[in-house]
Amino acid sequence: MKSFRPIYTLLFGVAAVFFFGLAYPHHLHYQEQYQLFLFDSAYVWEIVRLPGGVADLLGRFCTQFFLFAWVGALIIGVLLSGVQLLTSRLMGKGWLYGLSFVPSFLLWLFLLDENALLGGVWAVLLTLLASWDFDRLPSGWLRRVLLVVAIPILYWMVGPVCVVFFLLQAPRPKGSAVWYYGVFVLLAVLLIILSHHLPVPTERLWFGIHYYRYPTVTPVLLWAAALSVFVLTLIARACHKWANASSGFVVTLCSFLLVSIAMGCLVWKNSNFKAEKVMQYDFMARHQQWNRILATIKAEKPNNQIGVTVQNLALAMRGVLVDHLFDYNQNGIAGLLPDVESDATSPLPTAEAFYQLGMIAVAQRTVFEAQEAILDFQKSGRCYKRLAQTNLILGNYEVARKYLKALQKTLFYRDWANETLPLLGDEEAIALHHEYRSLRHSTYDEDFFFSDHVTPEMLESLFFSNTDNRVAYEYLRAYYLLTGDRESYAKLLLRSVEQ
Amino acid sequence: MKSFSHIYTLFLAVAMLLLSSCVNHPDVPSSSKEAGCLPAIFPDYCDVTVPCNIAPLNFMLPVGEFSKCVARLTTSDGQQQTYGKGVKVQIPEQDWHTMLNASKGKSIKVEVWGQKEGEWLSFNPFEIYVAEQPIDEYLSYRYIEPSYAGWSFMEIVQRNLTSFKETQIFNNEITMNDLKIGQCINCHSYQNYKTDNMLFHVRLSNGCTVIVNDGKISKVNLKRDYTISSGVYPSWHPTAKLIAFSTNKTRQGFHTLNPNKIEVYDLESDLILYDVETDSVSVICNDPDLLEVYPTWSPDGTYLYYCKSVPLPEELRDKDIRSTYQKVQYNLYRRSFDVASHDFSEEELVYDAASHDKSATLPRISPDGRYLLFAEGQYGCFHIRHNDGNIVCLPLDDSDAVLRAQEGEETPSDVDLSNFNSEGMPDSYPSWSSNGHWIMCSSRRDDGNFCRVYFSYFNNGKVEKAFMLPQKDPELHISLLKSYNRPEFMIEPVRISVEEFSKVF
Repeated sequence: MKSFRPIYTLLFGVAAVFFFGLAYPHHLHYQEQYQLFLFDSAYVWEIVRLPGGVADLLGRFCTQFFLFAWVGALIIGVLLSGVQLLTSRLMGKGWLYGLSFVPSFLLWLFLLDENALLGGVWAVLLTLLASWDFDRLPSGWLRRVLLVVAIPILYWMVGPVCVVFFLLQAPRPKGSAVWYYGVFVLLAVLLIILSHHLPVPTERLWFGIHYYRYPTVTPVLLWAAALSVFVLTLIARACHKWANASSGFVVTLCSFLLVSIAMGCLVWKNSNFKAEKVMQYDFMARHQQWNRILATIKAEKPNNQIGVTVQNLALAMRGVLVDHLFDYNQNGIAGLLPDVESDATSPLPTAEAFYQLGMIAVAQRTVFEAQEAILDFQKSGRCYKRLAQTNLILGNYEVARKYLKALQKTLFYRDWANETLPLLGDEEAIALHHEYRSLRHSTYDEDFFFSDHVTPEMLESLFFSNTDNRVAYEYLRAYYLLTGDRESYAKLLLRSVEQ
Repeated sequence: MKSFSHIYTLFLAVAMLLLSSCVNHPDVPSSSKEAGCLPAIFPDYCDVTVPCNIAPLNFMLPVGEFSKCVARLTTSDGQQQTYGKGVKVQIPEQDWHTMLNASKGKSIKVEVWGQKEGEWLSFNPFEIYVAEQPIDEYLSYRYIEPSYAGWSFMEIVQRNLTSFKETQIFNNEITMNDLKIGQCINCHSYQNYKTDNMLFHVRLSNGCTVIVNDGKISKVNLKRDYTISSGVYPSWHPTAKLIAFSTNKTRQGFHTLNPNKIEVYDLESDLILYDVETDSVSVICNDPDLLEVYPTWSPDGTYLYYCKSVPLPEELRDKDIRSTYQKVQYNLYRRSFDVASHDFSEEELVYDAASHDKSATLPRISPDGRYLLFAEGQYGCFHIRHNDGNIVCLPLDDSDAVLRAQEGEETPSDVDLSNFNSEGMPDSYPSWSSNGHWIMCSSRRDDGNFCRVYFSYFNNGKVEKAFMLPQKDPELHISLLKSYNRPEFMIEPVRISVEEFSKVF
């Protein structure tokens, strides 16, 4: 009944694809926007020169496809299925078969966290792949020599997760305890030597450099997934005769269903659908899907900061902000244009509002600060694109060119960069471009210092720089209504009528 | 065995291919059309004067416009060699240094051909003049995105100027223990171009000043009850274990329209003297109404030069600096110093910038004490953010010139720095090489945003055309999205590793 196993793996993979494609797509978009994979040798070298670099590189390479959630879901499905298949092979046959899904489910749980990086999953997969390859080697001196050679190579490729490889190799060949413990000692010595030569914190050499976006956090679930493979193989070996005694279709199916239902419930329970909703609003704002936002808020009123900001932006873009302001949840002026915080996520929808309002320099700063706040020091395709746009609008063509040149080295932003590059310095072409012409026209005509806190004066100055700026008009009126400043509201109406 | 021989052959073939791709000596085009102009190479190395030990001046023709570039370099003894791969000309270090040695005090002739739409163009040849004086072997700078308030990864690195080797001195990751507040590292500074006595600041997470005293690392807190902040802009006394610092309460403003983009200004600033041996801090000057900043010692250590703001008009004094910042201007002053008693004399005006509606900052005295180099703009103290920021040089040994400057006459510079400064882009942070023959600045001249390092040859008040810090890949300065911040010459490398520095925390 072995032939059914690929079907179980397929079922698991399909479930993962549907989960990430249908229930968690914006987590994938979120991941994509906090990295910028460049087809550039210097970029690749910066990654692979550190331990775990190959896994990290593969993770980043795959993450760029998360721009398209279903492709991202498919990649995750394949990776998780790969881990399951390898675990299954390492465990052997029997009714414990269902347990071979545990590491993959743990990795699934790990990936529910928006700060979990795909490089961690690749590290586990490559480790298991190496172990599986080694299992096929005959015992003897060649195997032992290769084991020693594999220590630095695997460590450099996948990082400290490779310890699982050595754990898995432990019992075989029998009687080679000296070799076995020797490799551990060698690994420890290697790490100590490395810590003296690599400019990274020592603890990250021990627990992983790029498995998780927060450099100081040890990803427990990832380690649990990796170590569970070793534990499961131990269980499988301990229960070898007993487990293999019953490996019929029903037993295998039952063990698969039992583990899948239990772990599946755990996955569902631990999924952060609130965060998914917030990310959805951010995604819709990023792609300027104003009608979709209006449809979404109609179905369910947003009750979080980002959702309210995006809701108000969409209403303003459609010219109905003031009409429908109080139909939805508000958070005072903080729901209109919140103060910019020093994190990578919350400023981006606000930056989108600044950009659409024509506060180009403010948008540029907000996007720049958000990108600088990415905790693992990566760059962002979304931010680079917006920095190129804002510099173009402000006439800083050489600066825009730098960002566009970088985007030319990407897979999915290249076409846009190629289309935009000819606009640099071409005033006539910019004047014909609907977005840039209008935003240039909408921006300030007088200079002042802007602050992190939006004031009515900033909006007034913007609106009276160009009274055709209807988005600014909507925001200004909404600002007065939300602050209860009826006098200013009346004056504004009077003044705009006069003009 | 047979399969091994296949692998061996393949390995050899790949190795040969790699080796052959390292150096390319293309043929000069047999026929070409005369362009009648100098080539628009990047960086612009046409007719520059370079040190006799500088790294290869690799350059390129514009991508997109040209498909190929060939350059023929001819030394004064008649040796010739061609280089070029794609649009880039990258000269092997060994070849280059041989050419430099052969051309000391003379020049290297460079002929450039570029292929455009299938046709070869030959450009007017240019010369690279090779000065007999070398440049200091090392340069250190901080890599940082030209940021607003936030920052991500930053590192202080050192670059060997005779090659392309660059190594890290410190980074803001290795000892950062609080991600929420992050860590900033800045203001690396050396005593007399040497690295046995040096310092840099670490701000926020694990904040302190790291001081190396005769090779021994320690971290100190320079904040005292009577100072407005810990030490900020430093200057090591050239001989004694003393460091002059400014203490600053600095703020930033962000423009909506002004191309200067960001304004950096001080609400308060004073000067302090830190004694490394006794860990004591004394106040040099702390006028409550005026701003003192950017201390720098004369090469013999007998004078401390610094900038001090001039009093604002009465009607502006109580106003918010956000509305008066354009009226804040700094003059250059100095005080004589007694190294035995640590006593400073009364201050004397060195350069009255405000009298001709300018503001002078970042003074640097030439190693022979004859010239004063500083940055000047219309207002403020942070000219690297001012498009009118330029470098000015005054001869200090010309007492008439100093007198004229003191009297505020229109003598912004007796030394013509037009070859050194850019037009309408910020140039700031000037400094001298240890032999006084090379001046350096940080400049945003290429795009208005990303700082690059420029050098010029300086000989008896004559300044040659500035050239950009050479890189192995000439395209790096086009693609690099980081600024070179606070470039400092050193005559030797920092020998302490990042890990050794991190142990002090």
